[in-house]
Amino acid sequence: MLKEYFGVLLFAGVAAIIPLAVFAVSYLLSTKKDTPEKGLAYECGMDTRGETWVQFKSGYFLYALIFVVFDVETVFLYPWAVKFGQLGLFAFVEMLIFIAILLIGYWYAWKEQVFRWK
Amino acid sequence: MTIGLEHYLAVGAMLFCIGLYGVLTKRNAVAVLMGIELMLNSVNINLVAFNRFVAPADFVGQLFAVFVIVVAAAEVAVGLALVISIYRLRDSIHVDDLNLLKW
Amino acid sequence: MNFNLLSTEIATALFGSVLLILSLVTGKDARRGLGHATLAGLLVLLLITFTQYGINSGGFSGTWILDDYAVFMKQVFIIAAILVVFAGKSYVEDFTGNCNEFYVLMVFALLGMMGMASAGDLITLYVSLETMTISFYILVAYNLTSGKSAEAGLKYLILGALSSAVILYGMSLVYGAAGTTLFAKMPPVSVASPVLLLGAVMLVAGFGFKIAAVPFHMWSPDIYEGAPTPVTAFLAVASKAAGFAAMLRVFLGGTPVAPDNWLGIIAVLAAITMIIGNLVAIPQTGIKRMLAYSSIAQAGYILVGLMAADPAGVNGVLFYSMIYAVANVGAFAVVIAVERATGSDEIAVFGGLWQRQPLLASVMTVCLLSLAGIPPMAGFVGKFLLFSAIMDQGIYWPAFIGFVMSMISVYYYLRVALVIWRDEPKDPAPIAVESGMRLAVMAALAVTVVLGVYPAVLSDLSLAAAKSFFGM
Repeated sequence: MLKEYFGVLLFAGVAAIIPLAVFAVSYLLSTKKDTPEKGLAYECGMDTRGETWVQFKSGYFLYALIFVVFDVETVFLYPWAVKFGQLGLFAFVEMLIFIAILLIGYWYAWKEQVFRWK
Repeated sequence: MTIGLEHYLAVGAMLFCIGLYGVLTKRNAVAVLMGIELMLNSVNINLVAFNRFVAPADFVGQLFAVFVIVVAAAEVAVGLALVISIYRLRDSIHVDDLNLLKW
Repeated sequence: MNFNLLSTEIATALFGSVLLILSLVTGKDARRGLGHATLAGLLVLLLITFTQYGINSGGFSGTWILDDYAVFMKQVFIIAAILVVFAGKSYVEDFTGNCNEFYVLMVFALLGMMGMASAGDLITLYVSLETMTISFYILVAYNLTSGKSAEAGLKYLILGALSSAVILYGMSLVYGAAGTTLFAKMPPVSVASPVLLLGAVMLVAGFGFKIAAVPFHMWSPDIYEGAPTPVTAFLAVASKAAGFAAMLRVFLGGTPVAPDNWLGIIAVLAAITMIIGNLVAIPQTGIKRMLAYSSIAQAGYILVGLMAADPAGVNGVLFYSMIYAVANVGAFAVVIAVERATGSDEIAVFGGLWQRQPLLASVMTVCLLSLAGIPPMAGFVGKFLLFSAIMDQGIYWPAFIGFVMSMISVYYYLRVALVIWRDEPKDPAPIAVESGMRLAVMAALAVTVVLGVYPAVLSDLSLAAAKSFFGM
């Protein structure tokens, strides 16, 4: 079994050597002049402004939380959708109830002004 | 060599231990929550592996894993919200700084 | 599918959702009304549970069991919730900001507990457990402006999630060893494998955390002190009873581990829980911390009933859960009233309480005596049932430890009573008791005294429930 993986190992080895070789060639052939310009971070040609570590507004965080919760609920929707044809009316009503409960949660988040940009 | 149940269980056990280690040693509350996520995911590996190798007839193990994923998301959402509210009160999310209540 | 089996839960879920919608449409000035709506709804739920006695059947491919045992446990939870809402309404309304979610979260926590009592398989149990626990995370941190409450919430979340992960890992091992999640189909005792044993040990550790048994109790004094007092009362009573309800289902309904093995584990847990809980309660100066350690000790007594693993033992667990719920919520209700009046939860502020408010003083004394197990209070009957169940099997030492430790517990319970009746009040102003609080403490007082004198009213019911648990 392990023998079959030998090809993969060989491939990984070659794959590792090629970029190293390219780096080596460019290191050997290139001219080396250090200017302060070269030390700057590259931001589409513009000069960089401000600190690298910026704080995101915690407003993002509430969106993210709400997103995560509702996003994960779709885990239940996939198996339901795959088997929808065989499940019949009962499962459909069940899913409607499930979504209704989620909507109440959504309404609550709305009323609590989670979606308002502060 | 074929990949069998033991391998999955070993990965699960390792993940569980790494998660536990993170929970017990990390000082940052967010990192602690990440450790807990790791522990829950190790359980998912276990469940799906058991489902595949022990009881493949029904999908109870996979179903269980789906529920674990959803509950874990809810748990972490509440956890992060609490961390943010603590941060607003204290300007710190280090677990060591939570010392108003003595053990 | 027989939806009658789920009627209490469907009603609870509907009630919780309606309450949430009501709180959205009424606006923040209508809090009082919501409190009353909550009470009315909880009373209706209690009435519904009475129609469920005698059904004794399972459904939904065995994932749901509705026997008298489950119904009895659900009544314990609902009664605890009603008393807590009665006693805690004004306390909650004192909070700044929005209090509507408080009731909603309590109802959803209640829903989770009900599921725990009725769970017939691991998945139902896990989802119910998390419904309850996640609601409690938010409830414990409810008073967000107070650093203590938020800190308690985060601590509870981290430790609770950790214990959930341990329970879950245990569940996955049990599932792997048994090949099923249904308790009823768990393999017989003779074929218990090491994997199953390891899973069961992890389950014991996780549930030990939920019921605050030593050595998994370290969280509880902190959380109890930091949480808003009504939440503490609900946490100490209902969440603990739910933990026991689930533990009985897992270990007696399925017997995943050989009785000899797990009897040993539970016995050791029970013994050290009774000893440490009672001894550490003695030096406490804060009433909430003292009650926290006392409730750790109470969990030890209930574990003795679990150890007996027969109808008499389960009967003791059920009876004691109800008694403990009423007496403990009664004691916490008095703490809530005094804390509202004085702003402190030190035992010292109870000095001369009988001059300031005789009703609160007598309720506190009766409830503490009941917790200590002094006749003629109901707690004595409960302890008698628990300990006699294990003694009938010829095992005397747990009962002996329980007896000695009860004697020690009298010391710290009576110390509070002494402060109430002997000390002079620092501030002689009488403490006002509003109607809801009056109702709650009177109910606790009446139940504790009446059941102490006529225990048969409740013990007949709990015995029938215990027998239904074993399918008799």
